[in-house]
Amino acid sequence: MILRTPRFRTLRTRLAVLYTALFAVALALLGGVVQTMIWSHARNSVRAELSASGSVYDGLWALKAKTLTDTADVLTRDFGFRAAVASEDVPTIESALATLRGRAGVDHAVLVNLDGSVVGSAGRLTAMMATMPHRLRGGRQDAVVNAGGATFRVVVSPILAPTEIGWVVFVVPLDAPEMRTLARLSAIPLTVTILRLGAGGHWTSGDGTVIADKAVDQLVAASTRERPLATVSLPDGRAFASAKPLIGVGGRPQAALLLRYPLSAALAPYMPLEVGLALAGIIGILLVVMGSIRLARGIAGPIAALDAAARALEEGSRTELAVVGDDEIGRLAHSFNRMSAGILEREHRISHLAFHDSLTGLPNRSYFRQSLDQAIARAPRAGEQVAVLCLDLDGFKGVNDTLGHPVGDSLLRELGDILTELAPDGLVSRLGGDEYAIILQGRFDPDRPRALAQAILDRTSQPMKTDGHQIATGFSIGIAFGPDDGDDPDQLLKNADLALYRAKRDGRGVFRFFEPALDAAARKRRQLELDLREAIQTGQFRLNFQPVFNLKENRIAGFEALLRWNHPTRGEVGPTEFIPVAEETGMIVAIGEWVMQEACRQAAAWPEDVRVAVNVSPLQFRNLRFKAVILQALAHSGLAPHRLEVEITETVFLDGEDHVLDLLHGLREIGVRVALDDFGTGYSSLSYLRSFPFDKIKIDRSFITGVATDDGAAAIVRAIVDLAGALHMETTAEGVEDGDQLALLRGQGCGNIQGYFFSRPVEGAGVAALLSTVFAQAA
Amino acid sequence: MTPRHAIIAIALAISGGAHAATVTIDVRGPDGQPLSDAVVVVEAADSPRAPPHGTYVMEQRGIAFQPHILVVPVGATVALPNRDAVRHHVYSFSKAKKIDLKLYGKEDQRSIVFDKAGVVALGCNIHDSMSGFIYVTANPFADRANGQGRVQMTDVPAGKATVRVWSPSIRAPNNTLVQSVVILSSGFATTFTIHR
Repeated sequence: MILRTPRFRTLRTRLAVLYTALFAVALALLGGVVQTMIWSHARNSVRAELSASGSVYDGLWALKAKTLTDTADVLTRDFGFRAAVASEDVPTIESALATLRGRAGVDHAVLVNLDGSVVGSAGRLTAMMATMPHRLRGGRQDAVVNAGGATFRVVVSPILAPTEIGWVVFVVPLDAPEMRTLARLSAIPLTVTILRLGAGGHWTSGDGTVIADKAVDQLVAASTRERPLATVSLPDGRAFASAKPLIGVGGRPQAALLLRYPLSAALAPYMPLEVGLALAGIIGILLVVMGSIRLARGIAGPIAALDAAARALEEGSRTELAVVGDDEIGRLAHSFNRMSAGILEREHRISHLAFHDSLTGLPNRSYFRQSLDQAIARAPRAGEQVAVLCLDLDGFKGVNDTLGHPVGDSLLRELGDILTELAPDGLVSRLGGDEYAIILQGRFDPDRPRALAQAILDRTSQPMKTDGHQIATGFSIGIAFGPDDGDDPDQLLKNADLALYRAKRDGRGVFRFFEPALDAAARKRRQLELDLREAIQTGQFRLNFQPVFNLKENRIAGFEALLRWNHPTRGEVGPTEFIPVAEETGMIVAIGEWVMQEACRQAAAWPEDVRVAVNVSPLQFRNLRFKAVILQALAHSGLAPHRLEVEITETVFLDGEDHVLDLLHGLREIGVRVALDDFGTGYSSLSYLRSFPFDKIKIDRSFITGVATDDGAAAIVRAIVDLAGALHMETTAEGVEDGDQLALLRGQGCGNIQGYFFSRPVEGAGVAALLSTVFAQAA
Repeated sequence: MTPRHAIIAIALAISGGAHAATVTIDVRGPDGQPLSDAVVVVEAADSPRAPPHGTYVMEQRGIAFQPHILVVPVGATVALPNRDAVRHHVYSFSKAKKIDLKLYGKEDQRSIVFDKAGVVALGCNIHDSMSGFIYVTANPFADRANGQGRVQMTDVPAGKATVRVWSPSIRAPNNTLVQSVVILSSGFATTFTIHR
């Protein structure tokens, strides 16, 4: 900006004032030039006129003098008159003078004799006239003199006979009528005034129209030779003037003619021009003001609109500018509109992204959390309730792993739509992964949460058809009420989560309400987690071994390593209590590694034909280091690989068959045996048996318990044993507790047994004794 | 000085004996140049009257009086012949002699007797430019200045005397300057300068 200090708040005013001021300055300059030219022109024309008039006056003046002189000369040369004068014939002389006065039109005429005596009377002028012939020198015949407060032209004509014998003298008053007569002779209306040299050397007029003025004095003084033009200030106004000094008797002027022309009269012809110019100037300024305001509005208006729109945009509201014309302003407005639209769209997208889940379009965790905060904050004031439903999809991981993420994503979207459809009265959010949550708030039916949960379960209990796949799925739902189950969002959400956890624990596909007991259970579980961590670090675990008896060889063929946790304060903790926690927290990997090492270490001390069997969790199996852990355990202990038997359950295959099979083959290659544990429960898919040649199948204890009394169970056991035999796999029956069971199993061809009937699990130190005992028994 | 006049002066000087002197007077105009249009008269204590004799002539020739100034004794007769082809009307309003010679030509003879001392200014009523003066005096010691503005007189009686210088250009009563002088026998010389 050029103008650093904006004296005007708006661009429009500034532009208008600037243009107007510029135009006014230009106009003032033009006016000045014109005024100067007018002045100069008027002065020149008046000068020319005055000069011309001055010349005319000079001629007239001389002519008048000559006329008077000639008139006098006619008399003075008249022979009779001369004779009368010579003979001093006074009556004749006086009559002749009277004739002269009439003929020349002069007031006073006298005869002056050589001796100074006067014939004729001129009143008070007589004395002055008597001296005049002697005062005039150099052949001059006329002069202008002041006498008695008046100015006169004196004409002297000598009487020659032939020498001078006297003079005829007459005077003509230079008074106002005489001056008017002169003025009438000019082409322009001049005023002619007689000036007299008064006291103090000032030239003044007798009638008071010209008072003592230095300019007038200078003008007269300068007019002796030339005829300059001056501007003088007189009582009746300023005027152009020129002066004509009138020669007095002594050669020095005593009087002067002042020719003047009023300035106003000189400038009058230019008045129309000046008025026209002033009018043109005023009209011009008005036009410029209007034009510049219009122009400024054209420029500043859109800018002001842009300014306002930019402010509005800054405050977050959308403003659309009207685009007028295709000049820079128009393009700017267009760009601004595009920009503001872009900004708002991005802002909207960003805020949508910030508060919505990009996959399902549902509100995300942040949005959910904010809504929950608001709902809970509002609930007590309004006497309302808040219900939070936490939903978790059962087995979603399997869907992703088996069918791929695109299918999983489609499923999530579809479920989101279903939830939104089923809960129009609630806020459905996706918290992440396969977790959803619904907030119900306001004055809803107390049964509404339950009804909604049931509706969701009913709707999702059937397999969903997604992307051409039939997917069996289902929700586990935990429900908590505010403010009863928690008057702050964290508490309420945690409790809903606990209820969900409970639902999961209770077999999935169900909903559970939060109960305070759940909270206690959760606390207990967290304590267990902490204890487990400490147990790993301080080595509170130990291994017990349960012998596996080979019915064909009648000997202990091996031991199954069983994990025992003897807690310092809570004492012996059962595997069913802590193993799930270890699995959920991932600590099973570290624990399993220890078990592997310890089992191999102890087994290495056993006889060569005794194996050790170690249970492996699916989580361990998923771990990429698993194979390395086994190799390390074998290397450290020096145990022959074929003496190690890894027991897995079918659940390992849920993570993906290929990877598991690769690992199993890898174990087989290094010589490690693989047993399939708990066969007969779960899916018990026969395809597993075909896909991998297990070394052994362990028949679940649920079949063994009833094998002696239940024909069905016995048939199943026989079928499994036959199947294993056909596949060249060993079998081990678990949980054998009495002789009937043993007899039956032996009769059906079962290879090995395990159970209390033979031996309870023993500590590591008891293995050697047991081996010798059994051997003795067998022997 | 005419030759005749000079003879009279010489005669007077001889008669005067040892008391006669030579007077030389120069007349100068305001510009310092010799003034010839002047008449000088020396009035001695007992100067004798100059008797008129002979004929004096002032002719009109070339629209002018010739001579311009003529000194004549009282009683002299002056002829005023017209030598021009045109006629003249000679007049004089002078107190010494009023003249009014109406138009006359070559063929006409006009002469005037000047019986009173004084200056008679002659003019022509037809021709304003014509001007002539006849200086009529009884004094024998009167003469017009020559071309060098000089008047020289002999046999002027020594003693007190009054010198009068007349000229039409002298602006003084009767156009005359008057000065009292003492003329020594050894001679007298002075210069009059006319101040306007």
